[in-house]
Amino acid sequence: MSVNVQPDIDFIKDMKEAGGDTLKKCFQCATCSVVCPLSSDENPFPRRQMILAQWGLKDKLLGDPNVLLCHQCGDCTAYCPRGAKPGDVMGAIRAYAYKHYGWPSWLAKLASRGQNLPILVGIPALIIFIMYLISGSHVPASEDFIQFGYGHFFGHWDWKAIPKTTFFIDFFMIPTAALSLYAAFRGVTSMWKRMAENAGVGKALYQPSPLQFVKEFFWPSVLEIVRHDRFKKCETNKDRVQGHQPLMWAFIALLFVTSYSFFAQDILGQFFPSLHGPMSMWNPVKIIANVAAIALITGAAILWGNRNQMEEQGRASNTFYDWFLIWMIMSVGVTGFGAELLRLINIPSLGYLAYYLHLVSVMMLFLYMPYTKFAHLVYRTFAMTFARYRESAYVKSPLNGSEK
Amino acid sequence: MNDAAKTEAVLVVGGGITGLTAALEAAEVGKDVFIVERNPYLGGRVAQLNQYFPKLCPPTCGLEINFKRIKNNRKIRTYTMTTVKSVSGEAGNYEVTLETAPRYVNSNCTACGDCAEVCTDEIDNAFNFGMNKCKAIYLPHEMAFPRRYVLAKKACSAASLEAIKGACKYNAIDTEMEPETFTLHVGSIIWATGWNPYDASKLDNLKPNSSPAIITNMMMERMAAPNGPTGGKILRPGDDKEIESIAFVQCAGSRDENHLEYCSYICCMASMKQMTYVRERYPDAKIYVFYIDLRTPGKYEHFREKLRTDANAQFIKGKVADIIAESDGGVTVVAENAVTGAKIHQKVDMCVLATGMQPALGEQGKALGLKMDRNGFVVSEPDKGMIAAGCARSAADVYTCTQSGTAAALKAIQTA
Repeated sequence: MSVNVQPDIDFIKDMKEAGGDTLKKCFQCATCSVVCPLSSDENPFPRRQMILAQWGLKDKLLGDPNVLLCHQCGDCTAYCPRGAKPGDVMGAIRAYAYKHYGWPSWLAKLASRGQNLPILVGIPALIIFIMYLISGSHVPASEDFIQFGYGHFFGHWDWKAIPKTTFFIDFFMIPTAALSLYAAFRGVTSMWKRMAENAGVGKALYQPSPLQFVKEFFWPSVLEIVRHDRFKKCETNKDRVQGHQPLMWAFIALLFVTSYSFFAQDILGQFFPSLHGPMSMWNPVKIIANVAAIALITGAAILWGNRNQMEEQGRASNTFYDWFLIWMIMSVGVTGFGAELLRLINIPSLGYLAYYLHLVSVMMLFLYMPYTKFAHLVYRTFAMTFARYRESAYVKSPLNGSEK
Repeated sequence: MNDAAKTEAVLVVGGGITGLTAALEAAEVGKDVFIVERNPYLGGRVAQLNQYFPKLCPPTCGLEINFKRIKNNRKIRTYTMTTVKSVSGEAGNYEVTLETAPRYVNSNCTACGDCAEVCTDEIDNAFNFGMNKCKAIYLPHEMAFPRRYVLAKKACSAASLEAIKGACKYNAIDTEMEPETFTLHVGSIIWATGWNPYDASKLDNLKPNSSPAIITNMMMERMAAPNGPTGGKILRPGDDKEIESIAFVQCAGSRDENHLEYCSYICCMASMKQMTYVRERYPDAKIYVFYIDLRTPGKYEHFREKLRTDANAQFIKGKVADIIAESDGGVTVVAENAVTGAKIHQKVDMCVLATGMQPALGEQGKALGLKMDRNGFVVSEPDKGMIAAGCARSAADVYTCTQSGTAAALKAIQTA
């Protein structure tokens, strides 16, 4: 078998930028694949990915689910005899993949580089600031602040169908979320296509129905993620589970709280005006929200400390890719919690500032989700789904006409 | 500098194949030579081998003739069980302080062995890497030179010591011996301090202490040697099973910045040589060699090509990174075959870790004022009359060591 190697210099440059600069030290001893607690017998990694990356064969890597099955436990890096840091290289390949699949590509590129940080913060900051100016840019009096909280951040009008602040928030958040979801959908679809091509799944006679697909491949993967089954197999950096788990539950809880709040305030609120304004601290949903906020900050802090430690001990490289997500989540948590505290102690001006920063952080998290490390949320989920799929009879059975 | 104080005498630290060669070369051109050796015998690591590669001749061939030349050369003085404590002075005028550990057996000893017969205490046999026991008064090995017993006094009961003394017809036992410090005045020093097998227990992912079926390449040498613990039989330690399969785990600690970052040079050839030991005894045994690269430079290529034709031997590109002890006494070695891209779990009766060479002098060299590289090898400073040779200089095979010993002698005699 001959391989036509077409090295891509830009790919190598990207690798270096994203923390994979140790890549060329690899001499293919394959220690990494054996010490990796996650790699399987038939599909070992990351030795193969190391040589593909060295050769600049990015097409193979972009359609390789193993790249995303890696959770960067760090055992490979700890045992690597050459300091080639396979864990970091796998992270760099993922960063490259998110950028590659990202749409629109200029935004994906923008979000991948640390030097663009001022622009990355600037875009949502400017949009929301302009909205604030358009809406009347007022700071409330103390009495109003107690009664309405941030419900009048973008002002108030008497139109019952939709409150003014809700209208403004929806005005920039819904398109942001839609763009983000579309980009993720687009990216995952092309990744899936490429993975199927690489695995030679294309010629299967029978494909699973959507229901079977969800039941047999997608849902088990989601359960695996929620239970952190794979993550818990990690040895070297196992403390990261302690940070990731509260973080993930916090996101799930906050998704619920936001949906509830949207439903209660924006929809039911039209008929029951008493539902407007800040929730009581004893409202069960508010309790969930507060617990989740604490979990979010705690989880992010654990991951923050853990990453610092890993970098100090030379177990991981310092990359914008890794830090940007931690920063974004931390700032969502801190500004959100700060805004709430400032409301409770009734300091409107600082409260509004905190709320403004909170909106900016939340918009960043949404807007950059498909291009930053946050993208693992969708890409990894579907790679894990694909890994189940490729082991199934749909792919493996010779009767199904698939070609390996 | 006081020229009158100058001397042309050469001190050779280490009595292995390199040190012996260097000492003989220097003495045979007329220099006074002192050899100091830490062990109670000369010959070093070579004495522990079963065979040399690639000619597969036993170490008696080579060592014996050197011992004879040393015996007949009045220019050479040897000090066994002796270590260097400090070095002062400069090229042509070094004062070296040495210490000889008590042997408790004086030169009256004829190696008749009567003492060992009455000795009831036993110690781990260090020459055989603890694979068997020997009496607490012992001849280090069959062809030990100087041919004199050694007493491990601490391991002996008072009664045993009395019995030993009583058994010696030559009044050779002296339990009152003390460590002796003395100084030598030399012009140059050849450091031929050799190597130690890398400590396998540091390879935590290979779990070498989890099963007696995991041995090191040097243990394999002893096992295959006719004067070794098994009399030359290759049997699985623990249950003495005759093996049907064996795996060689190359680069066990070498080429690894967590252990020895350099290539130990000899392990590929050593394992292939050991394949011939296995094949000689077990014509049908399955042999698996797991490697990163097979490094058989120069003429050694021929040796490799010959072994590659063995139909029952497999060479697998991929380093073993996990070893699992099995309930039947065997082990499963785990590697990824980098050619096929699949993981292999190979069950074998026994596995040999090809542990590398660690310079024996180590940190001690710095304390003695030597220039060392970051791996603990000695860097020669011929201007200062400090010359490194053999495996103290870099990982090397016997052939290169003798060349290096000769070269060192040439440098040393030019120093003073």
